[in-house]
Amino acid sequence: MATAAMPLDGVRILDFTWVVAGPVATRILADHGAEVVKVERKVPPPLGNRKLGLQCDLHRDKLSVALNMQHPRGIELARAIAAKSDVVMDNFSARVMRSWGMDYESLCAVKPDIICISMSGLGHTGPLSSYVSYGPTLQALTGYTLLMAEPDGTPAGYGYSYADMCGGYTGALAALVALWNRRRTGRGQFVDLSQLEAVASVIGPALLDISVNGRTQSPPGYASGEGPAAPHGVYKCRALKGDEGSADDDRWIAIVVRGGSEWRRFVTTIGSPSWASDPGFRTLYLRMRNSAALDANVSRWTAAQSAEDAMITLQRAGIAAGVVQNGIDICARDPQLRERGFWPTVSTTKGATTQVTGIPFKLSGVSGDVRTIAPEVGENTDYVLGELLGLGRAERESLIAAGAVWP
Amino acid sequence: MTQPGALAGLRVLDLTGHRAQLCARLLADMGADVIKIEPPAGDDARRIGPFLDDLPHRDRSLFFWFYNLNKRSLTLDLNDSRGGAIALELARSADVVIESFPVGTLDKMGLGWDTLHRENPALVLCSIAPFGQTGPYRDFNADDTVLSAMGGMLYVNGSPGRQPVRPLGLQAYHSSAYFGAIAVMLALLARDATSEGQWIDLSMQEATAAAVEHVAGGYFERHEAEPRRGTLHWSRFFRVGKCRDGYIMHCTLGDWTSLIEWVKSDGKAGDLEAPEYHQVMYRFLMAEHLFDVLDDWVKDYPREELIERAQLLRQPYASVRPPEALFDDEQLAARGFFVEVEHPELGRKFRYPGAPYLFGGTPWRVSRRPPLVGEHTGEILRDELAMAPEALAALFAEKVI
Repeated sequence: MATAAMPLDGVRILDFTWVVAGPVATRILADHGAEVVKVERKVPPPLGNRKLGLQCDLHRDKLSVALNMQHPRGIELARAIAAKSDVVMDNFSARVMRSWGMDYESLCAVKPDIICISMSGLGHTGPLSSYVSYGPTLQALTGYTLLMAEPDGTPAGYGYSYADMCGGYTGALAALVALWNRRRTGRGQFVDLSQLEAVASVIGPALLDISVNGRTQSPPGYASGEGPAAPHGVYKCRALKGDEGSADDDRWIAIVVRGGSEWRRFVTTIGSPSWASDPGFRTLYLRMRNSAALDANVSRWTAAQSAEDAMITLQRAGIAAGVVQNGIDICARDPQLRERGFWPTVSTTKGATTQVTGIPFKLSGVSGDVRTIAPEVGENTDYVLGELLGLGRAERESLIAAGAVWP
Repeated sequence: MTQPGALAGLRVLDLTGHRAQLCARLLADMGADVIKIEPPAGDDARRIGPFLDDLPHRDRSLFFWFYNLNKRSLTLDLNDSRGGAIALELARSADVVIESFPVGTLDKMGLGWDTLHRENPALVLCSIAPFGQTGPYRDFNADDTVLSAMGGMLYVNGSPGRQPVRPLGLQAYHSSAYFGAIAVMLALLARDATSEGQWIDLSMQEATAAAVEHVAGGYFERHEAEPRRGTLHWSRFFRVGKCRDGYIMHCTLGDWTSLIEWVKSDGKAGDLEAPEYHQVMYRFLMAEHLFDVLDDWVKDYPREELIERAQLLRQPYASVRPPEALFDDEQLAARGFFVEVEHPELGRKFRYPGAPYLFGGTPWRVSRRPPLVGEHTGEILRDELAMAPEALAALFAEKVI
């Protein structure tokens, strides 16, 4: 056999998504064997090198075709691909797909059991359905930016777009659930995914605290969100090589100590310092009330340790502790991620290799895999028009000459 | 007559502790029959607050409520061989088992993959562990903060030279739950072709690392550790600004001409009128200065006026709001995002956050409120395992159920 079967063998996705959230969704499907045909413009937005890093992670394992959706024959081709697809995904506001005759109702005419998933910012219905947004602005609307505050109250938000990742996972799950249902009922459907709602739904306990208890949420800082714990926080550690101001000097460890025997084990592990028998730290409740003093004492211990050593020492005693890992740590140093092969190597076009982000779960039998680096824009036009749509060379050339397809 | 959910007919046993409960809930919301198996004293999540009216009680935990909506509860002591045998019996007719015990625990309970697979070859087992089932850290202990740290999600929030800021709302857990549900669906779709179940080994550390978009990319492109940048987004196109009455998020990815015309008409454009700023790359390079000028422009604006006008010009600006604002949001209200869930034993109704997506054919929905401890133990054991009343009474007396 040429290749091992994958979970989504035989599934084809027509992919109009761009930027981050949509491509994350279709990338997950592509990694697991779906044939993802990405429709893009000749000159995509300048988001970076497709062959490395984030852009490669977003578009790997996909095919690219450059169709001119301003041209009637470009739209015709897109509809022809849709007729041979199982799922059509986009992250536009409602009007865009409709203007192309590519909305769910129109596509049902060419493929009655089609699944359409639209991952717009605020959804297809409602008074603000045309609101323009990106991941960072959706986080701002939801409370993440404000409640992730510096100790002085300045909003420090996410330094990245978690909303995009969250929206992407939601989109991938929607596609899989709809596919499973279609295999049993024979029916496709339209899924209207609002990225705002996706990211709002994952601060659930806080939203219930507001609606049920009427409590205004304040920035939680390092207070435990899963039951009482103290110490609970991040503590500065010894520099790696002592370069002041560099990432090597920016070493921290997260430590979590719950009640009962954990505190005693923690105290023993750090050498039973005299401050630990202070009556102010006798019970979990007291340790939480006096957490500022407690944290200062813990910091004195961590300041003399390397973050890695402190983690190993505490974990051996069963205390939850972990290095606040930076990009170099997770990609090059962490022995766990290395041993589990979380950064797979893929070939680039020129025979060199690069590493990409892996799949965070392993299936014991029929599994996915990262196979190919992201395509250049229009790299797979011949395959899509020729093999998939069965158009001969002359026809393809006339489409290019007419400006419906970019070579 | 309501339409069945998309996953109607799917039976899931949820053995997870508080770290991984969202996973089975995502399936329950779409119509799967999820039986939550918890210890006779109640799941650990029931001891986590906030609590209804701030009164700690195992049936009043809002933390538990959120993660266990739409599930049924069966209490079972899995450390007792009789409890294990009942779980195994249920697994014979289930499609999916999801667990988050320390590595090796399921084996000790007699419910390991080899046993489950032998007894029910079509079963999918999803194991969610902080660091996965293999590797030198597989037995390490972790909470969400430790996982955020180890997955690279924590380091990049906040300002350079200061303590990093922790991500809000247990997102290491939630990313893992989403990946878990995705993996389960993939295994179920593969099963359509092979008739075989699979064992899913999910590492929460990896799920966390995968949920940070730019850190690994930055390393593999430039061999650098992405730093903390304050409120400047790593792409350099977003930064928090402050209006007269609150914070906003600037964005310079909209149409530059209309934005700068507006700033100019307010007499605040300064050197941003220079033609170079029409290039995206130049705005990228000059981000700090650009946002300083824009900060000075917005500082006397009332926030709502600024955002309304920005959106009219299709500028992707937004207010930096507290989560309370979601309850007054006209868009969420129009789409019915918040749903009322009745808790009859309390005689009250509560508003829960609702669907992350609207399925046209097979809707997301609330079919039952979160279960009380062991609420469905009797009916499941009697109706589905045909256990005699005396057998049930004996198990109850001996605290197995």
